[in-house]
Amino acid sequence: MVCPYLEYSDGTDGTAFDEPRAFCTVIDEFVQPMRADICNDRYELNHERDCEIYREHVDGDGK
Amino acid sequence: MSYEAYLSGDPLIVTAAVTGGVHGKEANPNIPETAEEIGHAAAAVEEAGAAVVHLHARKPNGERTFSTERFQEIDDAVREHTENIIIQHSTGGTGAPDEDRHLPLRTDPPPEMASLDMGPLNRYDHLTSENTRGLVDSLHDEMEERGIKPELEVFNDGHRNEVFGLLERRDLADPVYATLIFGPGTLTPPTPRNFLTAIEGLPDGALFNTLGFGKHQLPFSSMGIVFGGHVRVGLEDNVYYRRGELAESNAQLVRRVVRLAGELEREVASPAQAREILEL
Repeated sequence: MVCPYLEYSDGTDGTAFDEPRAFCTVIDEFVQPMRADICNDRYELNHERDCEIYREHVDGDGK
Repeated sequence: MSYEAYLSGDPLIVTAAVTGGVHGKEANPNIPETAEEIGHAAAAVEEAGAAVVHLHARKPNGERTFSTERFQEIDDAVREHTENIIIQHSTGGTGAPDEDRHLPLRTDPPPEMASLDMGPLNRYDHLTSENTRGLVDSLHDEMEERGIKPELEVFNDGHRNEVFGLLERRDLADPVYATLIFGPGTLTPPTPRNFLTAIEGLPDGALFNTLGFGKHQLPFSSMGIVFGGHVRVGLEDNVYYRRGELAESNAQLVRRVVRLAGELEREVASPAQAREILEL
């Protein structure tokens, strides 16, 4: 399952890239290439259950 | 190697790990990712004193690839821009099929050196770089067939056991060259005591390279110099120059370790000297 919160963007928040890069909409930041690899569908993760970024964000916001 | 090697004045081989495959420009915009950027970075680190450049290949969006073709593009750019630097390819990877891990060995000409991870390590919460003995052996065998010297990557003390196991299973060409890696997680905890334990526990005659992650890069480089080892620095392992200050370039990190070696009165090896030391 490709992470529903992963997008590819060439710039946001003043950060610009020549090529679109992995952008996590949960944390509203570009993520490391290796994290993007995890977010893609090679590992059959349930992203809301398994993604520590997602869980930390949700826990941190108290949602 | 040991303090005796330092006292005897053995030259220091500096390896520059210029790009890596874990983080990218989102961590430090000065990380080179394209073939052309990596070629220029290799020229700069050679000028600064590095004898070896450790390479990963990336897709245009910064994500990692094992593609032979992409490594070829990078090697071509490095050779175009450098004088004599030794090319070392990474074969390390997380979650990649075993067959893909062989692809960096198949450029023309092959790299003079390639990394060979000695065992598993964890990444984040859900990933492990497995590095099974079967994969280690098959990578070693292809390196031997293609005349590539393995750089044994020892991420923790258990991996030193694996070095001895590999030496029992395979006939490695002398000198055995191991990179000792210190940092968080699966890596050897970065303490001076662990550093001494690691270097004292290497096979007789082995040479070692010293790699400290993040803030440990500078102190462990210092220990590597004083204890007769070699040193790896670069933006793959550390994106900062000092606390809170991103490094400007790989060359900036190389220049610092070269200055350090100078203060400690250790000669820095040219690529030609490094080839002699490593028997490439």
